[in-house]
Amino acid sequence: MGAGTEVLELGRVAYGDAMARQLELLEARRRGEGADVLLLLEHPAVVTLGRGAHEENLRVPRDLLRAQGVELFEVARGGDVTWHGPGQLVGYPILDLAARGAPDLHAYLRSLEALLCEALDTLGVPACTRPGMTGVFAAGHPEGRPRKLASIGVGVRGWVTWHGFALNVDCDLTGFECIVPCGLTGVEMTSVARELGASAPADLGRRARDAVRSAFLRNFP
Amino acid sequence: MATVVRLPELGESVVEGTVSRWLVKEGDRVERDQPLVEVTTDKVDAEIPAPVAGVVEALLAAEGEVVAVGAPLARIADGAQAGTGAAAPARPATAPTPPTAASPSPQAAAPAARSEEAPRATPVARRVASQAQVDLAQVEPTGAGGKVTKRDVEAHVRGAREVAPPAAARPAVVAPSEPDRRPAYLQYALQEGDRVIPMTPLRRLVAEHMVVSKRVSPHVGTVAEIDMIGVVRVRDAHKRAFEEANGFGLSFLPFIVHATVRALREFPRLNASVLEDAIVEKRDIHVGIAVETEKGLVVPVVRHADRLSLAGLAQAVEDLAVRARSKKLSPDELKGGTFTVSNPGRYGNLYGFAIINQPQVGILRMGELVKRPVVRSVGGEDAIVIRPIMHLALSYDHRAVDGAPANGFLHRVRELLEEAEFDL
Repeated sequence: MGAGTEVLELGRVAYGDAMARQLELLEARRRGEGADVLLLLEHPAVVTLGRGAHEENLRVPRDLLRAQGVELFEVARGGDVTWHGPGQLVGYPILDLAARGAPDLHAYLRSLEALLCEALDTLGVPACTRPGMTGVFAAGHPEGRPRKLASIGVGVRGWVTWHGFALNVDCDLTGFECIVPCGLTGVEMTSVARELGASAPADLGRRARDAVRSAFLRNFP
Repeated sequence: MATVVRLPELGESVVEGTVSRWLVKEGDRVERDQPLVEVTTDKVDAEIPAPVAGVVEALLAAEGEVVAVGAPLARIADGAQAGTGAAAPARPATAPTPPTAASPSPQAAAPAARSEEAPRATPVARRVASQAQVDLAQVEPTGAGGKVTKRDVEAHVRGAREVAPPAAARPAVVAPSEPDRRPAYLQYALQEGDRVIPMTPLRRLVAEHMVVSKRVSPHVGTVAEIDMIGVVRVRDAHKRAFEEANGFGLSFLPFIVHATVRALREFPRLNASVLEDAIVEKRDIHVGIAVETEKGLVVPVVRHADRLSLAGLAQAVEDLAVRARSKKLSPDELKGGTFTVSNPGRYGNLYGFAIINQPQVGILRMGELVKRPVVRSVGGEDAIVIRPIMHLALSYDHRAVDGAPANGFLHRVRELLEEAEFDL
């Protein structure tokens, strides 16, 4: 190790291409080559089903998704079904947890949650986690329906991670309507832009990437 | 030498994981570090790599199974036979294969057989398996002498549905959703204004069953015109007393079922199933009653329907229909029918041919009850009289039933209804 984590901002990348890129980096990392990497990017509209996916959480028939140009992938990550699309910041950390001396899958999930909370704090959106519901939620309305800001679903091969997290920055939240996000029926999806309302800055996307990058490097230097 | 692969420590709070997918089959050659199996815990999907190169001897946990940390997942035979050529292909021609290769099933992605011999199974299990296109070698046997039973096959089918949807629904790890490969005449491009209704699991099950039934069983239809005057008179005579005693009205359905089960006793060939190379005529008569509910079609079963009086049948049918509509039926009450009666109700139209409820060989569908002019002999002269007429349509499986018994059976149902000797 020693080289420090590299952050690559890739812009908008098709889901399949991003997956291929991750696998390349993952295999290299397993061979002990290269450094740990964080890919930051966004996807065109796509629905993915994790290994915990229940078909009924896909509210719309596959034929209809296909007709709307939404691709569908079944992927080797934990979790149920989720949506990705423009305005959502996706992070794929390729980290060798064993080399970092932290081979603990649940601890890794908690670290991702913590760094996303930090980043959201920087952006002026108080966020929290909820026991038993991996992900990051808007804080401050404990009595209402949980409002989810970021989803997490991770894969690990050997001890090298792939897949990761998706933070709703200013995406079109109607994209989630075709699914039951993460299989959680009582949860509402929200975004940073929606939580900030009128006070959202014009360059929110840039700020969100910077906030996540900094928080990530603090937690996984 | 064999190496047992166990679920490794995955973190302080991780005590168990769920086997989400096997990436190898028994008999596969694996390289060291090649991913063997995916195990899920919370929102993490961990691929467990092979600790050694070799041949996968046995998979020790099924997909969907929850395994504790340290529990065995697979056994890999290593040592001499395992790895001379470093770049050996994943499945060299010399790899040991089971002596009797079971025919590969469409769901070949499921974990491989636990036994290398031709699977032992009951005839019923074989038939169910062949209808469901299940490879018997994939089914965990629980029967006597290690035989696969019908229940095992059904459990396997249920499990396969829950844990690993059919291959088409589960493309490879990196593949995007499959393009629509069905022939052009089966495809439909959605148009603006179309309303798309996702299939519920029940709808999908019904759809599958209908297709299977039409495919495995050549349906033939025959129709009888029943003069229901006798039945109508019996019903009219007892209607009020029955309703007061039972709290619900007396419909025509129990009369039809009553006549049907008596005719079935005389024509056991209609109370049968088709096995692989035999036909089984059943002693017991359990009649399924097709009921349309809010959630779709269900067919609860009146067990030993031939032992019930007309009133007993009426009560059983009412009880099942009420509970079907309020979704309070137990799964057992939907199983084991040997013949089905379908009552489409007031809007059943003249007649229609229902699809046989497999593995039965016949289904009787009621038509509407309408007054019609018919010719009867009155005082030795032909006369046109008005009678309540119902058409009963029988669909039968020509694999097991020829025209003579089928027509004989339906004719007997008609006689029984027209004789109308019912005791309430």
